[in-house]
Amino acid sequence: MKTHTRLVVFGLVAALLLPFFAAHSVSAADLTDDQLARIGANCVTIKSSLNQLHVSDALLRVNRGQMYESMGTKLMNNFNNRLGNNSLDNKGVTAVTDSYQTALATFRSDYIAYEQQLSAAMRIDCSKDPSSFHDSIANARIKRAKVHADVLRLHEYIDDYRSAINDFMLNFERVTGSK
Amino acid sequence: MDEHPTRAEASLASDPVVRFRDEHRFLILIVGTIVISIVMVIASLMIYNLSGSAQLDLSRPGYQEVSNKVDRNDEITNYSAFGPVNKATVTEFTDLYDVQAEKAKAVDAFNGDPLNPEVLEFGDPLTTVE
Repeated sequence: MKTHTRLVVFGLVAALLLPFFAAHSVSAADLTDDQLARIGANCVTIKSSLNQLHVSDALLRVNRGQMYESMGTKLMNNFNNRLGNNSLDNKGVTAVTDSYQTALATFRSDYIAYEQQLSAAMRIDCSKDPSSFHDSIANARIKRAKVHADVLRLHEYIDDYRSAINDFMLNFERVTGSK
Repeated sequence: MDEHPTRAEASLASDPVVRFRDEHRFLILIVGTIVISIVMVIASLMIYNLSGSAQLDLSRPGYQEVSNKVDRNDEITNYSAFGPVNKATVTEFTDLYDVQAEKAKAVDAFNGDPLNPEVLEFGDPLTTVE
């Protein structure tokens, strides 16, 4: 019992300290003088590239987000409701839809975090403070990778939902005897 | 009706706070209105930024060049939540779903690594962006 308590306490402490170490590992990236000089020298070009990326990612977020929202509300939810309205077993499809909606919420919040980080990086004067700028970009890079992972997860749930419909159909045909 | 002020009323009238309030009612109204407006504006801007609306607002300065590229035609047909369930209606749904699923998965959004320091410092990051 005592060992379990110790393990739980250790786990909690480790979980609390982990973000500090993670943040440290990002900011501790030692930049050489050459790298700092390059950031300062290319500051205008880098800022211009970041600005273009910022704008194109915003457009991507709007268009893809709209597509994912519509898939959930106009197709998945309505089909689940139709099954429910006919007193049919919709547990399988509903479970996948719930996971999809959770993944969509994560996608939304991760994008906000990424956009805010990128905006923060763009506000830093890279010619005066290249080190902070580098760290900020590194954070934005990690957050953008998370958004991409969210997109891949959404695609997986879209496939899972299709498989859940196939399972439903097999069960439905077996129960009703229709082919 | 007794027109003479009571002792309590007389004491209130001599209170400097009450006297100031009575003498500057209009000014207090104006200042109060401005303060409430400022609080409301700050609250709405906070909601605008924290809710993610700011990230979706392409009418902001700097986004005009892409605001006309927003897909305004939501082509996904609304599948009715009411009606019978049989092989024909499920097939109708799966046909609709497959088309939309293909479109949704066609774009591997936010892929690539345009924020890689090497890419940023030496090249154009947009070459890897969809």
